[in-house]
Amino acid sequence: MKANLGYRIVKNWVKLMLLAVCLLPLAGWAQMKAMSAQEVQAFQQALKQLATVKTLSADFVQYKHLSFMKKPVESSGKLFIVQPDRLSWSYTAPFNYKMVFKDNKIFINDEGKKRSMDLGNSKQFEKISKLVTNSMQGGRYDEKEFAVAYFKDGGNDVVRLTPKLSEAKKYIQEIVLRFSSTNRQVQEVKLVEPSKDYTRFVLKNTQINKQIHDSVFDY
Amino acid sequence: MIRFLTISLLLTLLLTSCGTYKYPTSSGIRSIAPKEVNTYYADTAQAYVYRTRLTAFQKEINGNLVVKSISPETHRLALLSDFGQTLFDISVFSDTYVVHYAMADLNKKKVVKEVASLFRLLTSRRFATEALIFPTQQYFPVYVANGDYYTYEERNLVEIKHVKGSKERFSVRFSDVQDALPQQIDIKHKRYPLSLSLQLDSAQSEL
Repeated sequence: MKANLGYRIVKNWVKLMLLAVCLLPLAGWAQMKAMSAQEVQAFQQALKQLATVKTLSADFVQYKHLSFMKKPVESSGKLFIVQPDRLSWSYTAPFNYKMVFKDNKIFINDEGKKRSMDLGNSKQFEKISKLVTNSMQGGRYDEKEFAVAYFKDGGNDVVRLTPKLSEAKKYIQEIVLRFSSTNRQVQEVKLVEPSKDYTRFVLKNTQINKQIHDSVFDY
Repeated sequence: MIRFLTISLLLTLLLTSCGTYKYPTSSGIRSIAPKEVNTYYADTAQAYVYRTRLTAFQKEINGNLVVKSISPETHRLALLSDFGQTLFDISVFSDTYVVHYAMADLNKKKVVKEVASLFRLLTSRRFATEALIFPTQQYFPVYVANGDYYTYEERNLVEIKHVKGSKERFSVRFSDVQDALPQQIDIKHKRYPLSLSLQLDSAQSEL
């Protein structure tokens, strides 16, 4: 077993979550219908007109679905993002675990046990960080990294990102983002693993560009 | 003389390389009528979620271990990180296993085999046909099944020692048994710096 396993798990997760949660200016559930070219254009246009995201706060519920279990394993917490480079992801039930991403480091508070990991030399993180920043400021994602498909599902817009690079494919089969039909905010993020099991994050009480106190990023 | 020395050397080599495990304080072993051991995870209607703290090579990972009984001898177990990533998803049978998924970093034959072996020991019902003999009556009964040692206290299974060759490979300690289900499990690998601490999450389990 690799000595740096914990670091790799956190690193991979951060990469995926930063990417998934923060692709706000963009967009498989069953019975989804592919958008027409006109619908895709209208959807992208609507997103461009949204205010640039400088801060984001939300509550989340995480559901881990396993094919052999009747009900998902559930946990919940809070998410805060301040552009360009601060993120706080904390679980509050059924356990306490806080992860803060700032100053090119990950700080972890695990039920009172604190530790940090340096991300300074990680080119992958630089790339992800740039991608997130660009996305939240109305930029475009890199189509070399993902195949993108747009869908309509009832009143919701849905975007499915399928990794093209082999390194990402090892961990994730696809990322599905579901947008609210009313305010165009991301409502759900679904990370599908190569085994088809998936984790669904449902965001609630999302607030954009409201002031976030610095203490949120203490750990 | 030379022949004697050669035979002695060969015997010494054979005895040291093929040594058998000696359970501490036991004075012998006796045959018994088959006895069912480890029935905690025999109910196929149930699934169990344990909060898990894995410590491996001085690194810690938190998450959940999900255990589903398919039959008393067959179980499916998934070890998840707190972020929802599946680290292992393995079905264990009495003498084999099937890997449904193992995270790329962990998908090494040796690692997966060891994890499957541990999962099997933790969950699988066995039938013991031997029991240890102790010099006095003050010891709790220890049954032997498939070369592993099952210790009972007050009718509850409290420990399994998994033995490979002449050495203990890992131990599983069950505690706080309520309604025939351990609330706490501690697993310790004797060869690698690897341990797991499991706490039953009743709210998430399908009991």
